Amino acid sequence: MLKRMTRLVSGARQLDPGRLLHGGPQAPQSLAAHPDNQVPDGSPRAVSCTSEGDPARHGEQHEARHYCIPLQDLRTTFPHGLPPRFGMQVRTFNEACLMVRRPALELLRYLKNTNFAHPAVRYVLYGEKGTGKTLSLCHVIHFCAKQDWLILHIPDAHLWVKNCRDLLQSTYNKQRFDQPVEASSWLKNFKTANERFLSQIKVQEKYVWNKRESTEKGRPLGEVVEQGLTRVRNATDAVGIVLKELKSQSRLGAFRLLVAVDGVNALWGRTTLKREDKSPVAPEELALVHSVRKMVRNDWHGGAIVLTLSQTGSLFKPRKAYLPQELLGKEGFDALDPFIPILVSNYSPKEFESCIQYYLENSWLQHEKAHTEEGKKELLFLSNANPGQLERLCAYL
Amino acid sequence: MTHRFRTLRSLFLISRSGTPRAAFLGSSWPAKMAAPVGKAARGWSVLALGLRSVVPRLPGLTQVRWSRYGPEYKDPQIDKEYYRKPLAELTEEEKYEQELRKIQLIKAAPAAKTSSVFEDPVISKFTNMMMKGGNKVLARSLMTQTLEAVKRKQFEKYHAASAQEQATIERNPYTIFHQALKNCEPVIGLVPILRGGHFYQVPVPLPDRRRRFLAMKWMITECREKKHRRMLMPEKLSHELLEAFHNQGPVVKKKQDMHKMAEANRALAHYRWW
Repeated sequence: MLKRMTRLVSGARQLDPGRLLHGGPQAPQSLAAHPDNQVPDGSPRAVSCTSEGDPARHGEQHEARHYCIPLQDLRTTFPHGLPPRFGMQVRTFNEACLMVRRPALELLRYLKNTNFAHPAVRYVLYGEKGTGKTLSLCHVIHFCAKQDWLILHIPDAHLWVKNCRDLLQSTYNKQRFDQPVEASSWLKNFKTANERFLSQIKVQEKYVWNKRESTEKGRPLGEVVEQGLTRVRNATDAVGIVLKELKSQSRLGAFRLLVAVDGVNALWGRTTLKREDKSPVAPEELALVHSVRKMVRNDWHGGAIVLTLSQTGSLFKPRKAYLPQELLGKEGFDALDPFIPILVSNYSPKEFESCIQYYLENSWLQHEKAHTEEGKKELLFLSNANPGQLERLCAYL
Repeated sequence: MTHRFRTLRSLFLISRSGTPRAAFLGSSWPAKMAAPVGKAARGWSVLALGLRSVVPRLPGLTQVRWSRYGPEYKDPQIDKEYYRKPLAELTEEEKYEQELRKIQLIKAAPAAKTSSVFEDPVISKFTNMMMKGGNKVLARSLMTQTLEAVKRKQFEKYHAASAQEQATIERNPYTIFHQALKNCEPVIGLVPILRGGHFYQVPVPLPDRRRRFLAMKWMITECREKKHRRMLMPEKLSHELLEAFHNQGPVVKKKQDMHKMAEANRALAHYRWW
């Protein structure tokens, strides 16, 4: 609170209080009409920020407002890291503020009303480049972490199908390939995110790693993860076992499982990986991709599956493609069918205004013309209210 | 060397007879006639409309390199405010000017010049100087990344500083850029002048545009050459700009060396005749 007060003093310099309080022709009236109970009215941050830190209590009245995620929570909830540009923003501002937007609110409403006896519902966030799919996914993950769900988060599935230095032949199935580096880094992050569940969940089968090592039935899942981390060769198999166990045990009701995959169209596309004889590797021949595909099927219950499509890291897809049919292809679409599509679009005028206010409050917009109406109109025109483009524009202004 | 003759609006002229004039790159002759170019002789070109030059014609000389626009072409008016003034507010002069513009021929505005509120001529000039091979996209992206890097570094310093220091830390990358270049501008320069078979470095006052050019040139050369192989230009340039902003760093040192040499050679100042 003290930090916020000192920030108000420095932030108030750049603001034009007349615009905020009386509302000029551009300022949407709805922003001023929704006073936040916690933050005192009239303070600059009341307009673009809300002090409601729990996503469970986010509702319509918080739309277009930013809420802060405490930095300690970031390390446990997002050990893989956030998207690179957002990570830079977090480091620069010393705070992680996400905007509450309509697609995320819709998803949260569905998740709050999930019936855990029914099979897991698949939600697919799709939209053009830079509209905020990944950050909406992060919002949902934060909500589930606060609600004490078990989070299975794959930050970017595209990284598993390209630029892999070492592909080993899988020990479990001779036709498939292992990726030790990717699997072990994912296991490390999974362990950081879900520390408390690893001792509670017990394996239901005996797994033999090699002649000397095996995991008995009834041992905690943490041992499997440790085995994968210490013996990197078995990391991919450890990942497969973890996914299988979680899937089978989620129906028992001890925990609720959230499967969050970003860039899920990588699982059904093409890879750029090649065998020693230069013949291409299909995605189903990768053990990691195979296990995640099984996870994303809706033949289990006790949780939800939230997916994001992404053209940015994808392989062999045209730049303008953003619809599920285009990015997933026939195979992927049939595998994911039926799913609930959620469109993430560019900023509405209210959200755009809120974003600009947030940047002004943090003194991110340093150019003197950026504070004027002309400047704002120009930013709107140049970015077309696309969140990613706006962020890049404001970075150098 | 050739910059000295820009003030005389030197155009490359060739003589009618076609013989190249004596090379006077080494002479101290105040060249009112411009440097010859070894091209074939041409007679007076047909004075088609729009192909005239502004410089008064010298007998026996034809211009070889000229602008495609004649003297009747006016510069384009890019400023939005000029057009937004309501009719009542215009003075007689401005009304006349606006009427005239409807009939006059106007040059095309260059592609890089926009009516954006964020446009800065100094930044555009710097970007053009950084450009290699016409790759303006790359040069512009390097410039924007540099400004972003400067901003982020300053924000880091700001958050780490105490309340009193925070007031002194400048976070606007544009002010830092302008101040840094101003700090790098030399006041006095050296020019080689030939006297008695030897070249002497004579201290000479520099016009504004030469000073700005030298500051930018030194900055870019410094960043291109004196950096680690793997270091990227925005990183190095942001570092150098911040150092120059605080009047430190190699570019400001170069300016000061230039001043010292001029001070040392001040005895030769009378060799200057302009």
